[in-house]
Amino acid sequence: MNGPTLVELPKDNYSFGAAGKRLTTIGAVVGVLALSGAAAMGAAADDHLGRFLHAYLLAFYYVLTVALGCLFFVGIQYLFRAGWSVTVRRLAELGAGTLPALAILALPIIVATAMGNHTLYTWTDHEVVKQSHLLEHKAPYLNLNFFLVRCVAYFGIWALLSWFFLSRSTKQDASGDPKLTRSMEIVSGPATILFALTLTFASIDLIMSLAPTWFSTMIGVYFFAGAATSSLSFLILFAMALQKSGRMVNVLNTEHYHDLGKLLFGFTFFWSYVCFSQFMLIWYANIPEETEFYLHRFQGPWLAFSWFLLLGHWAFPMAGLLSRHVKRNRKALAFFAVWLLVMHYVDIAWYVLPTVGGHDAHGIPFGPMEVLCWVGMIGVFLAVVGFLGSRRSLVPLKDPRVTEALQFENI
Amino acid sequence: MAHSKVPERTSGDTKVYSYLAEYPTPQALIEACKAVRDAGYKKWDAYSPFPVHGIDPAMGIRPTILPWIVLGAGLTGMLLGLVMQIGLNAFDYPWIISGKPLWSVPAFVPVAFETTILLSALTTFGGCLVLNNLPDLYHPLFKKKRFAKATDDKFFISIESDDKLFDEQKTKSLLERTHPTALETVEDDRKVNSALPRPIVYGLLIATFLSFVPMARIAQARYTKTTDPRFNLVSNMDYQEKYKSQRGTSFFADKRTMRPPIPGTVAQDTLALDDRYSRGVEPGTNDKFISDFPPQFSVNAGAMQRGRERFEIYCAPCHGLAGYGDGMVARRAEELAEGTWVAPTSLHEPRLANEPLGYFYNVISNGVRNMPGYASQVTEEDRWLIVLYLRALQRSQAGSVDDVPADQRGALR
Ligand code: HEC
Repeated sequence: MNGPTLVELPKDNYSFGAAGKRLTTIGAVVGVLALSGAAAMGAAADDHLGRFLHAYLLAFYYVLTVALGCLFFVGIQYLFRAGWSVTVRRLAELGAGTLPALAILALPIIVATAMGNHTLYTWTDHEVVKQSHLLEHKAPYLNLNFFLVRCVAYFGIWALLSWFFLSRSTKQDASGDPKLTRSMEIVSGPATILFALTLTFASIDLIMSLAPTWFSTMIGVYFFAGAATSSLSFLILFAMALQKSGRMVNVLNTEHYHDLGKLLFGFTFFWSYVCFSQFMLIWYANIPEETEFYLHRFQGPWLAFSWFLLLGHWAFPMAGLLSRHVKRNRKALAFFAVWLLVMHYVDIAWYVLPTVGGHDAHGIPFGPMEVLCWVGMIGVFLAVVGFLGSRRSLVPLKDPRVTEALQFENI
Repeated sequence: MAHSKVPERTSGDTKVYSYLAEYPTPQALIEACKAVRDAGYKKWDAYSPFPVHGIDPAMGIRPTILPWIVLGAGLTGMLLGLVMQIGLNAFDYPWIISGKPLWSVPAFVPVAFETTILLSALTTFGGCLVLNNLPDLYHPLFKKKRFAKATDDKFFISIESDDKLFDEQKTKSLLERTHPTALETVEDDRKVNSALPRPIVYGLLIATFLSFVPMARIAQARYTKTTDPRFNLVSNMDYQEKYKSQRGTSFFADKRTMRPPIPGTVAQDTLALDDRYSRGVEPGTNDKFISDFPPQFSVNAGAMQRGRERFEIYCAPCHGLAGYGDGMVARRAEELAEGTWVAPTSLHEPRLANEPLGYFYNVISNGVRNMPGYASQVTEEDRWLIVLYLRALQRSQAGSVDDVPADQRGALR
């Protein structure tokens, strides 16, 4: 055996083509209509856009974490020089490729906050800060100017990294130059470190600071777990949909889905591990500033909501995905991917929605506005994926490791 | 080989254990496996230096039941972990930790998680061995020189003679049709060689026997009395090389480990020259308590506020927020009803109303009967603040309508 024999990619349909363009149009139309509908509803309400901005942030952070999870997926495939995943990697590259567009979608949140709307981030209000020692103490970090600088850094880094991987990998489709792979391998290490830092601090800034006196050192890794489960679910469903429509039929098989399923199972449990660790440390120490966050979520309708999150994001999918037969069965795997994508929304909602309109709000603020934001944001996300996908092959055509992916087999 | 040395080996005709076929590549091995599988054999195996993709279906191996065993073990581990903690912490030795209820599931989760993993991992390891018939100390294939290549660069199939379909001629021709690079007959010499060597058997027996000795010693120690000192396995844990209070030493001339202050030294801030302020008594006396605040102490609203804070930190846990002797510690002690508890005095006892201020200062500094002194924790200034608040507290429980300003009496009731 002198190294693997080179295998040509089998004849197949690797182009998104007209379907991608249709996805772009439909996604863009739905996205723009839904988001502007939600904005109109928000403007009509008499709460300084408070509820709309929360709903928008929730939906935005949802697609942002999916895209970031894709970026992470691409990064670690190069980091580990993984062969098995080459034939799904382009789909993740497309998901991550939405990050520059998401930077634009972040503007409503950032601009509203910069222009003096305190409904989302109350710590931007000097009056509020003056009344709280804790917030004064945090002011060197939690202040508007530094916040804006950080936001520019996060989105800049993400846009740069996603563009780097997507464009290099696309270039290789034509040239087949293995040096491109090497350069991406070199970048993937620092990129993964940068990814960890930016995701951590972005979670602190965008989500944790909604409850500015609260703090949890696990929030970054918490949303990393969420990003991983949701992006893997997205990849699984995206690949299945493409195969169903007769694309890339011969390059992805049960073995690949089995491995994606294993990762999905692992990260589902990882999410539970982090989620529980965060809760247990705070519950045990019982420090008022920290406990308040949970106390609020354990009262009224939020208690049932919290239980649903725990059982729905941990017990049910974990028990379900445990068996290898489930991971190798497309229908079952697709079901859990959809389920976890919904639970990821529930997860972020658990952080964002309880802070709508201060702490005495009754009931769970979930209605047409939240749904419109969610649908709209997914629409824009898919439109960008379709746009990028229809301009390149859906599978890296000349990746030096494509052979490994084609011959891949679980034992 | 001489008859006298190993008589059993050549007595009677040797049984055939299996046919061993050798292949040059994994591909050839897989093809051959498919042929053997299709011929319907059950008792046979393939040998390779590394895991070969696709060998399971090629050999017709059904999925193992190991996952189910491991799942059961994991659930058992979780249950054991939970039962152990609940039993120990909530029943056997009920102990409140960090103010949590005796039954605190979140606190039990980490341990239950670990026992789940522990039992799963050990079962996976043990289950793998058992399901693979390991440890197997002897195997007839080991006799074949050629078979050593199974750990290097050759691939083998061995069809055992125990198989129902095994037939000297048919099996041989089946294997020949798979194009092996070699085909050999393996003899069954397990009768001779599979028994454990005698020395090992005796060694194990003795070791098993000896393993009871420590247990027996422990059991004996538990139920007998002795004047001998404790048995020390790790003695420098009990006898650490360090000075402890009240111990002797040969290092200092006076043979004491506790060093007295050098004559004439005065610790910072504790000069305590003013008897009124620092001891609460008339200068030069020991029990003539002063009944007014010392001159350097000024009474104002800020002082009262801080006095209240100090009282609620240092005194209220026992004496209660209102001073009736019903603080959290007192209530808990009463609940435990262990009989040795002396209740904190109610600060509203008539006797105490008449005590001079200096008396309370003295109680805080030096304690009284069962109550410890707080001089080491509470500064002199703060002690006077507490006395101030304590007086106010006493007064507050003896109020009447006359205390309310005349113009506000109408608002009462
Ligand atoms: C650890 C519990 C505890 C704390 C804390 C405590 N006490 Fe006491 N205190 C007691 C007990 C018990 C007694 C009764 C002692 C006895 O009768 O043996 C007592 C008695 C007293 C008395 C009555 C003395 C007398 O003449 O009978 C006074 C006054 C008093 N405490 C004041 C204080 C003040 C002021 C503080 C705060 C600095 C304080 N105590 C903190 C347990 C406590």
